[in-house]
Amino acid sequence: MSRLVPAQRLLASYPCKALSAMSAGRVGGFARLMLGLVFAAIVWEGAVLLFGIKPYYLPRLGAVMGAVLLTPEAYIHGFLRTLAETLIGFVAGASFGVVMGIVFFRARTLRELILPIFVVSQTIPVIAFGALVVLWFGNTLLAKAVIAFYLTFFPVTVNTLLGLGSVDHRQAALLRSFGASDRQLLFRLQLPTALPQIFVALRLASSLSLVGAIVGEWFGDTTGVGVMLLQAMFTENVPAMWAALLAAALLGTGFYAVVAAVERQLVFWRAEQ
Amino acid sequence: MLTRRILLAALAAAFAAGSAVGTRAADAQELTKASLRLKWLPQAQFAGFYVAVAKGYYKAEGIDLTINPGGPNLLAENLVATGSDTFGLSGGTDSVFAARDKGLPIVCIGVSHQITPFVFVTRKDGPVKTIQDFKGKTVTTWFTGANHVLNGMLAKEGVKSDEVKIQPQQVSVTPFIDGQIDVVTATYYNELYTIQSRMPKDSLKLFVSEDYGITFPRDTLIVSEETAKTKPDLVKAFLRASIKGWKDAFADPKGAVDTVMAAAPTLDRAHQEYMLGEIKRLMTAGKAAQEGLFWIDADAIKTTHDFFLQYKVLSKPLDLKAAYDSSFISALPAADRKL
Repeated sequence: MSRLVPAQRLLASYPCKALSAMSAGRVGGFARLMLGLVFAAIVWEGAVLLFGIKPYYLPRLGAVMGAVLLTPEAYIHGFLRTLAETLIGFVAGASFGVVMGIVFFRARTLRELILPIFVVSQTIPVIAFGALVVLWFGNTLLAKAVIAFYLTFFPVTVNTLLGLGSVDHRQAALLRSFGASDRQLLFRLQLPTALPQIFVALRLASSLSLVGAIVGEWFGDTTGVGVMLLQAMFTENVPAMWAALLAAALLGTGFYAVVAAVERQLVFWRAEQ
Repeated sequence: MLTRRILLAALAAAFAAGSAVGTRAADAQELTKASLRLKWLPQAQFAGFYVAVAKGYYKAEGIDLTINPGGPNLLAENLVATGSDTFGLSGGTDSVFAARDKGLPIVCIGVSHQITPFVFVTRKDGPVKTIQDFKGKTVTTWFTGANHVLNGMLAKEGVKSDEVKIQPQQVSVTPFIDGQIDVVTATYYNELYTIQSRMPKDSLKLFVSEDYGITFPRDTLIVSEETAKTKPDLVKAFLRASIKGWKDAFADPKGAVDTVMAAAPTLDRAHQEYMLGEIKRLMTAGKAAQEGLFWIDADAIKTTHDFFLQYKVLSKPLDLKAAYDSSFISALPAADRKL
């Protein structure tokens, strides 16, 4: 019977006490995170000065920040552009993945027909695929989003399918006996049960979509974190390279944190167990 | 009364909208849309094209030009042959040969770098004094054309390439600066700048391919065969505006670097100014000194072609007249082409 908990809880109202306790815990967590970052910054700066590390191996954090402050708009524009590509690719890939997961779960023939094609598609390295994307979509934002989509939809499809497959048949039979329609069965039992598994894929997809966006920018573009990375790398402008790396890290961690926070809100029973 | 006013207003609005559409259509008729695909991201290597856009030189010739940057794994030849881009500043004579060898319908309409833009660099106080000394040493190079030049230089001096440890060169020149490798490949305008900024002055020895009778013109302007055949005036107009932009860039290098850095603000200004100086030297070397920018030196092309045939990089001789069409650049008055 315990397996019914998610479905029941989704219908129940969210316990208020738990929410406030959780947000207090989060503030503490945030403070700890900041403390950790400050510590890492001090170690970085200190190590470079103390051991006299040459700036082309590791520049001082101050020098990296200096590179950002020299042309802050360029970094802001690049960050926003890559964020947009990542988000579009992620949303498209995740939606398509969940829908395909449901379709494959429902229609066995389709699964046997199309899933192998999906698998084959994933064995093509993105690098080989990128030049084609430029031919088809040009140097547009869409071209990068397509690469992000290409990297994200597959893990979401597979995990959705896996999650839906883990539904207890007895629970489904019980709901059926109460006259639940296919639709009700999907939204009240199957999807909630699959949700933890889907979020495993979404967290994975959040990083993959960023990789896709950055790699996509390597096929000819003028703005974006990937472009800044490439440009700095090939002119060996080391502070600018680290600045682009930090921008990518900030984007990646930020996005991952958002997905994880949404997961905590939606899959609350998982945190409580 | 009210309805009449509304009617009048609607009529006026319709008229205004109509005339706006009319003028826009006229503008579109005058300007031909075209794009230029670069071989790399915006930098001073392409300053003249950016200056020509900024100063409206293409517009004055009736071209609405978009500059599309390149990147790793992007071949300008492919994008121009498929019609994705109108013009391309592609890899060089090597990539034009390779494309023609594969049957891609592209034509070279101008050559930017008249001489080999890269050199092989070693330490002055190191063990390598001559090409003979390459034997048993570690040499890194790019396997995108520079490797053929290296092999050619070795062959000229009677060194077999399997006697040298030739490795693909990664992005960074740091392994050379750290002394992990003996000889590194460097373009005059990028890697050599980085090496010189990290090593003491006069500590380097350069091996220049021209000293061994090999020249390797690079950075070629290309169009598709169809564009060359059906729109010769567009090609000439593009060359006219581009050369005007380049002349301005050389006359005012600081202003040109400003224009480039507007497109790519995170670039290092000192490096870009140095780069533009080196690009000027490469673009005005050889025959270009007398004939002007983007001149196609048929003899140099023939030498490179024969060199590639000899080392079996090319499977069969190419029709060089068809691959390199100098009719467009020759059509421009000589005074306009020269600096």
